[in-house]
Amino acid sequence: MKRRTFLIFSAASAAGALVDVTHKKGLPGKEMIRFIPETKLVPGVAVHRPGICTQCPAGCGLDVRVMEGHAEVVRNGQAGLLRMGLAKKLEGNPEHPVNLGKLCARGQAGLQVTYNPDRIGHPLKRVGPRGSGEYIEISWEAAIGELTDRLRPLASQVDSSGLVFLTQPLRGQRQVLIERFLSVFAGSAHVPFEFFDDAVLREANGLSFGHYQLPTYDLANSRYVVSLGADFLGTWNSPVAQSLAYGTMRQGRSGVRGRFVQVETRMTQTGANADEWLSANPGSEGNLALGLAHVLINEHLRSAESAASAGDLIEGWKDGLPQYSSEAVAWKTGVPPATIRRLARDLSAHQPAVVIVGGSPLAQTNGLFTALAVNALNALLGSANQPGGLQFSPYAAGFAAPAEPRKGVLSPNELAQQILTGRPSPVQALLVYGANPAFATPPGWQVKESLEKVPFIASFSNFVDETTEMADLLLPDHSYLESWLDHVPESGTNEVVIGVAPPAMEPLHNTRATPDVLIETAHRLGGRAAQALPWKNYEEMLRSTVLPLRHFPGSVAAGSDDDFWKKVQQQGGWWGTTTGQTSKSASRPASFSPVKEQQPEFDGSAKDFPFHFLPFASQQFYDGRNANLPWLQEMPDVLTTAMWGSWVEINLQTAQELQIEQGDLVEVASAHGVLQAPAVPSPGIAPDVIAMPVGQGHAQYGRYATGRGANPISILGPQRETNTGALAWASTRVRIRRVGKNGELCLFSTGPITWGEKQLKR
Amino acid sequence: MAHRWGMVIDLDRCTGCEACVVACHAENNIATVGEKQAAMGRAIHWIRVERHWEGEFPNVRVRFQPIPCQQCDDAPCEPVCPTYASYQNAQGLNAQIYNRCIGTRYCANACPYTGRYFNWFNPSWDKPLQLQLNPDVSIRESGVMEKCTFCFQRILAAEANAQAEKRQLRDGEFSPACVQSCPSEAMVFGDLDDPQSEVSRLSRSDRGVKLLGEVGTFPKVTYLTRES
Repeated sequence: MKRRTFLIFSAASAAGALVDVTHKKGLPGKEMIRFIPETKLVPGVAVHRPGICTQCPAGCGLDVRVMEGHAEVVRNGQAGLLRMGLAKKLEGNPEHPVNLGKLCARGQAGLQVTYNPDRIGHPLKRVGPRGSGEYIEISWEAAIGELTDRLRPLASQVDSSGLVFLTQPLRGQRQVLIERFLSVFAGSAHVPFEFFDDAVLREANGLSFGHYQLPTYDLANSRYVVSLGADFLGTWNSPVAQSLAYGTMRQGRSGVRGRFVQVETRMTQTGANADEWLSANPGSEGNLALGLAHVLINEHLRSAESAASAGDLIEGWKDGLPQYSSEAVAWKTGVPPATIRRLARDLSAHQPAVVIVGGSPLAQTNGLFTALAVNALNALLGSANQPGGLQFSPYAAGFAAPAEPRKGVLSPNELAQQILTGRPSPVQALLVYGANPAFATPPGWQVKESLEKVPFIASFSNFVDETTEMADLLLPDHSYLESWLDHVPESGTNEVVIGVAPPAMEPLHNTRATPDVLIETAHRLGGRAAQALPWKNYEEMLRSTVLPLRHFPGSVAAGSDDDFWKKVQQQGGWWGTTTGQTSKSASRPASFSPVKEQQPEFDGSAKDFPFHFLPFASQQFYDGRNANLPWLQEMPDVLTTAMWGSWVEINLQTAQELQIEQGDLVEVASAHGVLQAPAVPSPGIAPDVIAMPVGQGHAQYGRYATGRGANPISILGPQRETNTGALAWASTRVRIRRVGKNGELCLFSTGPITWGEKQLKR
Repeated sequence: MAHRWGMVIDLDRCTGCEACVVACHAENNIATVGEKQAAMGRAIHWIRVERHWEGEFPNVRVRFQPIPCQQCDDAPCEPVCPTYASYQNAQGLNAQIYNRCIGTRYCANACPYTGRYFNWFNPSWDKPLQLQLNPDVSIRESGVMEKCTFCFQRILAAEANAQAEKRQLRDGEFSPACVQSCPSEAMVFGDLDDPQSEVSRLSRSDRGVKLLGEVGTFPKVTYLTRES
């Protein structure tokens, strides 16, 4: 071939390839369109914008590193290339009082939410049967029109509209917006749901201390910490704030090193850091707390009266808890009497001290008793509302969830029953935002079945998950880096914190911010609906809510409203000591009588199901919402090094007796279901407990999560905590059997490595 | 102004949360390899958290230890490289020149900390995940070794900034991604040649030990032992 022919040939084939590529992608026209960029970013120079992490409820502040880049985007229905600011790295916002510049693994992986290949890129309307995944793409005009048409008849109902809004628990103006939206619909309901919801602890804190919220632990000033089941360094409450404080507790004070004891049935990441690790029988943790209180009172280390009203909630408190002698408690908990006495004396001697409770102990049928017992113990120790103890973050009224218990809040279980029975009134329409109960509720709650019966479901999710796949109309939200954000942290700080952040980048897809969609829908409905949401958009709503803060001393000083609003956005929020309307303690209901000791009840008989089943919050995926992020799938679990799948943890000794080896496929069966996963025998789990991480086993959640591993929630019993009605997710019993050899366990570390061990000790 | 970069990891603060692991992936464009390849031992983590179990139930203890490249003064990975792809740069870092590397994997063999990783294939990202890539860090191709660089791109950027502002680098003004993210502030990074720096001060601590110090690698990472 001559050089000239070759050049002509290669030019032709290159051009052909280009046309071919654009056609394959279904792009209109024959060549890739380049949009005119609006960005003023200089190539190669990073800018930093604030954000708020939404990977868990803690609400850490973000510092988003944005750089210029070229992205394929859709604008006005037209696909093309756009030079735009792209988020390149997430760090903690150094100014934010909760996380002070730090970020956890799940927060770090947040970029992959925005850039996830499985995001829903535009509004979709279902055409096939529910769950078939057959949709057609529609315009936003048509999508909002459809939503408005569906809701209009409901808005005119006088007594019961049958509209239900199912969301993740919201902590900011989105909550206010949704409640105002629903106020137009008679008898409508807002159902907030997440699997690890801590409702029991909130209720107990309201009763004991008058604060219906999760506590902030001042670990940085603690000298002795006992944690009952709480994975406070990994997944529970405000893990980054707690880890920061923990670091200071250990090595941040000259000459003082706080001691830490963990009590749980399966070693969590947090428990692995304890100086002393103890195992107590599931559901017996309240007994242990009262056993410790018994020692403190009867050895005259503390007087029973010092617990004040928190003690009055426990029957027999005034009399020194006679039925909780160390021996009696040891028999119930499995913790030796001498250990109980030593722990109590240590708690008394090393002040300030604090006892933390969270996670599985409160997910028993007697969870409220356990939480109240621990609260009384903290009050007895003088740790409530004290430095080094537990405190309650102040928060501004009007900015977040109320400080009072929300009566009449439905759980997905009750919602499902209402849908299935049509009583008290039939559910006509369901809106879903950030919640996935079809994945995260036990089969006995019949959530999946009930969704089939709802005449109309609309979902605002970024991804098609088990709940969203049942929707008739998909109205995808922006990712959190593309959205106006606000969040009022429930805990993790001693300041009033109102996180506010503008979008860190422009949207990649033809998505629309859910608050803006709701405002637009309300305006189209007109009348009362338009009055209820009078703002032009969510930005305007946020601005009008935040501006009054200018008159209070806080992190932002400004001469004018505009200046204030600008500075709040630059800082990623506002924090200060008061807003004049800071939540006050709620009073305890007068009718509440002291609680008696309550034994845990388990689903399934000990004879047929000899093991307690413990689903635990996964270090990678929390409650499963992060299972579609490849960085987290390939992040080894720190205790087992497992990646890309589920596993079943079983005591080393028990496994030997059952002839189960690491990697064997095992079957775990409860009275409600069966699942299979590879086994990991571990020394850090009680002989009568089988544990599994929550998060895998998605039937539908994008390419990285779908069909991977098993979902432990799918075999849980429907039991609930008896006082609060919260799901008792740690109260199911199971049996286990070996199925075969190859469970396809994927580990990063191939064996126990001990070569570093001697360097770790002095 | 020459620097000698070092790190201190306080094992009494480390909680094993692995924020460092994901932060490193995000900063350094480390590809995920998927379940099948990961099961074959081909996953890449420039920093990993080892755990050491002690005792039997119920008297069990675990100790965590994050292990990045130890940036040895006397690095076993360097003299074995036939192409001088592994070498020690002027700031004491065990650097890897990807363009020189021919993939003999001798360095991985020689490293006592197993801190070097081989690219078994070209990395790929499902669109639009490629948008997450950090433009300051090059992507490594099939057949090339890679390892922790102490986020060398951040060192360069900080030096350039300081130079533009005609000043010396300040202690703590930048840190590698793992250090910056660490929620319990277990990791400290800085210049070991500056006796006033936090990292110098901590590495002189009587809790300080070097991992496998007895093999004579003289690591620039110092571990502070747990006090219990």
